[in-house]
Amino acid sequence: MKPMIVNTLSMYIPTTQTNIDMELKGKERIWEKYQKEIPLNDYYYARSCIRQNFWPGSEQTFIRILQDELGKNILDEKHHTTCSGIAYHCDVVPLETTMTIVARQFSLMSESGYKHFVPSCITSFGVYTEILETWHEFPEIEEKIRKMLSEATGRTFDKPEFLVHPSDVIYALRNEILQKAKYRLVNAKTGEPLKCVDHIGCHYAKMFPEKGVGGAEFPHVLVGMIEAWGGEVVDYPERRTCCGFGFRQYMVQANRGYSIACTKRKFDSMESYKPDLIVTNCPGCPYFLDRWQYVIAEMEGKVYTDDGYGIPVLTYEELAGLVLGYNPWELGLQMHQVSVEPLLEKMGYEYDPTDKYVVGDKNINTRPETPNILKIFNHGEKE
Amino acid sequence: MEKKNKNVLIVGAGIAGMEAAAQLSELGYEINVIEKEALSGGHVNQWYKTFPYFDSSKTVVDFTSRNNEKLNFFTETEITFAEKNGLGFKINTDKNRQILADAVLLATGFEVFDAHRKEEYGYGIFKHVISNADLERNFINGWPEEGNSPRRFAFIHCVGSRDAKAGNLYCSKVCCATAVKQAIEIRQHFPNSEVYCLYMDLRMFGKHYEEMFQAAQEKYGIHFVRARLSEVNQNMDNTLLIKVEDTLTSRPMKLTVDYIVLMSGMEPALKSSELAKFFGLPLDENGFFESAQALVSENKTCVEGVFLAGAATGPKTIVETINDARSAALSIHHYLQNLS
Amino acid sequence: MSDLIQRLKNDVRIKEGLNACIHCGTCTAICPAASFYNYDPRELTAQVQEIIAKNDEKALTELLSSDYIWYCGECMSCKTRCPRNNIPGVIIEALRALSQDTGLFAESEKGRQQLMIKRSIGEWIVDYGYCVVGDKLNLNLFPEQGPNWQWVMDNMKLVFEKQGAHYMEDGEGPMRKVPEEDLEELRKIYDVTGATERFRIIEEVSEKKAKEMGLQFDETHDCEYFKHVYTYNSNKH
Repeated sequence: MKPMIVNTLSMYIPTTQTNIDMELKGKERIWEKYQKEIPLNDYYYARSCIRQNFWPGSEQTFIRILQDELGKNILDEKHHTTCSGIAYHCDVVPLETTMTIVARQFSLMSESGYKHFVPSCITSFGVYTEILETWHEFPEIEEKIRKMLSEATGRTFDKPEFLVHPSDVIYALRNEILQKAKYRLVNAKTGEPLKCVDHIGCHYAKMFPEKGVGGAEFPHVLVGMIEAWGGEVVDYPERRTCCGFGFRQYMVQANRGYSIACTKRKFDSMESYKPDLIVTNCPGCPYFLDRWQYVIAEMEGKVYTDDGYGIPVLTYEELAGLVLGYNPWELGLQMHQVSVEPLLEKMGYEYDPTDKYVVGDKNINTRPETPNILKIFNHGEKE
Repeated sequence: MEKKNKNVLIVGAGIAGMEAAAQLSELGYEINVIEKEALSGGHVNQWYKTFPYFDSSKTVVDFTSRNNEKLNFFTETEITFAEKNGLGFKINTDKNRQILADAVLLATGFEVFDAHRKEEYGYGIFKHVISNADLERNFINGWPEEGNSPRRFAFIHCVGSRDAKAGNLYCSKVCCATAVKQAIEIRQHFPNSEVYCLYMDLRMFGKHYEEMFQAAQEKYGIHFVRARLSEVNQNMDNTLLIKVEDTLTSRPMKLTVDYIVLMSGMEPALKSSELAKFFGLPLDENGFFESAQALVSENKTCVEGVFLAGAATGPKTIVETINDARSAALSIHHYLQNLS
Repeated sequence: MSDLIQRLKNDVRIKEGLNACIHCGTCTAICPAASFYNYDPRELTAQVQEIIAKNDEKALTELLSSDYIWYCGECMSCKTRCPRNNIPGVIIEALRALSQDTGLFAESEKGRQQLMIKRSIGEWIVDYGYCVVGDKLNLNLFPEQGPNWQWVMDNMKLVFEKQGAHYMEDGEGPMRKVPEEDLEELRKIYDVTGATERFRIIEEVSEKKAKEMGLQFDETHDCEYFKHVYTYNSNKH
């Protein structure tokens, strides 16, 4: 099916008056420059290591929205693996290893008859993009990798016609999602738009700005979703700063100060804007934005919201799922350390708070321990 | 043949074109001047004071306009086509005129780099990020009335220059002296201000430039930091947060300021490549017109009868432009004498 | 041309990432590592430039043996800014690769940490098909995971089922059990592309280093050496 070119500006829905005209015009100029061709169907889905572990509901929701809500064709097959991106950026595997594993993924895509490759992870998206660009500039390297893949596995591959991130896809389909919306990103009591911080994974557009919707400086991929669904985007001075994953700077305990310091810098900067939620399009980012709030609360007694629960951190699928009125516990919101219920309350969301920690059909009543400082919603009782 | 029968078409009525026109008309030639704006004087018209002595720009424009009544002006007009016509040239304009010329002088000047292109600087997004050109206009038209007087200014050197990402590898030469001049003007205009110049190298090459720089430091207390602007963000109170590295102390640095002034460089005039095609001229690697020879024949081109003056060949100061225009006039004069 | 220098130059990431630095500092300005550590990507780029220009093998050996190349978090923010199109983050990747393949990584406190990464992420890829595996990210090694994650781990299969996933089972879906034949292909890829060899060097050199340092060494996560490289921070960074 021929992909449609998405005119990002024609879908722009003007919102509140907080952006002065000039700011908006200036940003629109940039968004116009960084339009991206996003195919609207027939996707080969390559899952993300971190998301599969920590946000499995998000990946399932992506498939559910595309298949069940929008009737799209997306292949979720079982033979694909990690792209090795984390290992690559921890520098523990050679460049050729990652390139060959990527080539294997493309081989799986080709043999399934698909041409639109959609990697669930942002680091993957960066790795795939970087590798395709490198092969384009150095065709002898592509040749070498083809030989290596063949030697190791007997496989051949075609390169994808399109490489897009799932957040690009949700972005391109945000108005279709709006058509089926049960909720808007609006405070149900006051009618005010919810204040949303958008956090873009570094590997989405910093390496190749033209491969990201809106470019590297003022990306539009999450802004478009937030504003289409009724929310208000909050810009703050440390918006473009990395969440602080740092790969080996997190994985090794001795280095972890880097990671938490980086994330804390962002929280300190966004706090005075009183955001209602943070939405991100990277797997690792929500993990750090979520967990480090807990750690900062326990270590320093500091919570970034007045109610003591912290700022809820969502993936874009969780955000879309809420707009569509899905069961939060199918979305996987119970996987978050920072409770998302304050947001649900603000939205006037209909849900069963007591179902949060219920698992299995025997209704096993399990509960996590509660932290000392960070407040947690637990079985509908605020603690 | 009498001189009076020879005519020169001058493309561009900036100070280069005007000085050349003034010289050539004094020598007795008939001069046609084609200019895309409504007024002559070019960019200098929109500037307040010049470096390094803070003379008014108006003086320069008035001086180069001294023979204007002898010239034939075609303002708000652009060239749509040109071709050789015997030994001379035939030029069509967008006002449906045809002009015949025995010699052509391209004095098309420059374009100010569009700072929107440096997205990370927030030009056109954050209100108090302005360009060097905007600042001159503020001085001419008056600074916008805004509650408190702005206190902290950061001047950013090398905007759109020495920058592969902006598409311009070259140094625009005049921006450093302009920045020091403007920094001094800000200190004079806002006595309580604190001014930073964030520079890469300080091109203080001209007469009295170094002294102006020293005065900027000693008399006006302007802070010079060897740093290049990396990112601009806006705080809640609309002040601007900038991120740089102080490269002399090797420390990342954040600075909160009220205004940022981007020293946008000079780029080739917009229609340069079109004109180059009409006249069969090469452009250099940066899109400026290529001279016949870089050292000794800057005013000539490889096409007989077509000449160059001013910033059309690359960034120039005012004094260089005036001298260059006179040199071009002399070259044209010799050329036309030899024709007969 | 020294062999070591040539190996560095052969890395495509040096070809792509090193284009002569003008010391503007726009990379350092927004580098997280530069704000937390005594690290400066501008200085690093200039250093590597000098080393290559002067064919200075001694300086390269020293650099590859130092902590300096291990501070970068590979966020690539530097790539957005450099006016000469240098990419310090990618130069770092080339240096780290060479540091491991030559064994020099074990000479620095931060470099030695690669053993932990090899024995976790590096091995999980071919053992499970994922870079990270949930029930290995326990609160012993990762206390910041928090009590909610402990609850998830205690009820993994059921928590996943509620979200339409089947933890470590056959079939499709998040955290499925990746079929053995696919893992075999990854193992073969490791062999052909040099990962197996690099892992072998990491283990061999680490074992030698452990002996030197008088730390007990075996193939588990519990040996003295592993615990040391995982947790030790001299606080001199």
